[in-house]
Amino acid sequence: MIGLIILVSFIGIVIIAFASIIQKKLADSIILFMGVGLGSVILFFVFKAPDVALTEAVIGAGISSLTFLMALKHLGVKG
Amino acid sequence: MSLKRELPTSTISGFALSGILVLTILNILLHNIPHPVTTAGDKLLKLNASEGVANAVTTVVVYFRGFDTLGEIAVLFIASLGIGLMLHSNTQCEIKTDSNFMLKTASKILFPIIILFGIYVMIYGHLSPGGGFQGGVIIASGVLLLLISDRSFEVPHAMIVALETFAGVSYVLIGLIGLLVLDKFLGNFLSPDISDMGLLFSGGIIPIIYIIVGIKVGSEMSLIVQNLIKRDENV
Amino acid sequence: MFEFLNQPEVIKIIVTVCSMALFFIGLFGLLTQKHLIKIFISIAIMEVSLFLLFIGLTFKKDFIAPILTNGQTTFSNMNDPVPHAMILTAIVIGMAVLALGVSFAIEYYKLTGRTNIDEMTEMRH
Repeated sequence: MIGLIILVSFIGIVIIAFASIIQKKLADSIILFMGVGLGSVILFFVFKAPDVALTEAVIGAGISSLTFLMALKHLGVKG
Repeated sequence: MSLKRELPTSTISGFALSGILVLTILNILLHNIPHPVTTAGDKLLKLNASEGVANAVTTVVVYFRGFDTLGEIAVLFIASLGIGLMLHSNTQCEIKTDSNFMLKTASKILFPIIILFGIYVMIYGHLSPGGGFQGGVIIASGVLLLLISDRSFEVPHAMIVALETFAGVSYVLIGLIGLLVLDKFLGNFLSPDISDMGLLFSGGIIPIIYIIVGIKVGSEMSLIVQNLIKRDENV
Repeated sequence: MFEFLNQPEVIKIIVTVCSMALFFIGLFGLLTQKHLIKIFISIAIMEVSLFLLFIGLTFKKDFIAPILTNGQTTFSNMNDPVPHAMILTAIVIGMAVLALGVSFAIEYYKLTGRTNIDEMTEMRH
């Protein structure tokens, strides 16, 4: 059961990361990067590492995504 | 002298992607090496029982590798200094539309609850998953909520700088007191009682150091967040 | 039905292959993208792949997390706490350095108005 969850999560993360890089708009790329962070939190939880999962959840969803979104705002990119 | 032609990036990326095949085969072949029987982590788990702290990761971060945490706080300080130098301006930019009255009131109700949760995660770091880094960033995300919902809110600059200075100085002072008392930098001079494992007041100086780290990380993240959001548009 | 996926060797193979695929996807993005912010996103994806590799390689299936809860009273049959502690500090430092890099990119855009790396030609002759 654990092996199946690990395999499905890893394949999902690889597909989402590849889709995030080949997008044409910058806003889509940033949102798909947040999906990579979410998948990695699920994987850290399955690997029985609660401290690392908590840190990645707070930093990946809060500060790292905020940095890229503020770059989007200040660069004046439309769409 | 200028480059006559550019580097062919598609060729380089082709080599990089074909490196997957070679390296995966090498890795699968290398997995037939047997595991070492005992690692450093096993020895540290055995030593951990004499410190009286329930969370083994907290003891490794704060006590057994406390000097690395001091270096990491220095790196965070330098990054925050750089961001403040590049993006700070005295005339703050105005967000164009003012928010609704309901949004402002609801975020002011949520803000103390988030701060309380962050302080809980910080203080119980040696008994359950959590600690200084996690609690500090949760406090900074509470400040972020107020910054994006109310356009006239500013983080009080003098108080945050005073908190950050106090936390940074007291970390080094605790280490020096350990050097004077026990001949060991960052030694545990409050002599923990092993039978206290699981209680809130246990573990000697380990929860005290983690709270100091949490205060420093929280105040630095608040300043970074404010510098990123509010910036003069006309300079 | 999927019982053969639970053996420790198969889990290690899955972790290694997929983490390195993620690393090379990030490297591909670093080499071919032209927008400055997309290069930073590729660097962040490469960092996430290394964290997953580090913790996945020291994962033992029948052991528990390194915290005393639920009636456990001795530190035995636990996972290794040293990689957890190292990755914890690495996540925070990676985020701080990324924020510094993005602030440099914002300042450069305010100064010259360019985000395409093919047009940044100030350092050529």
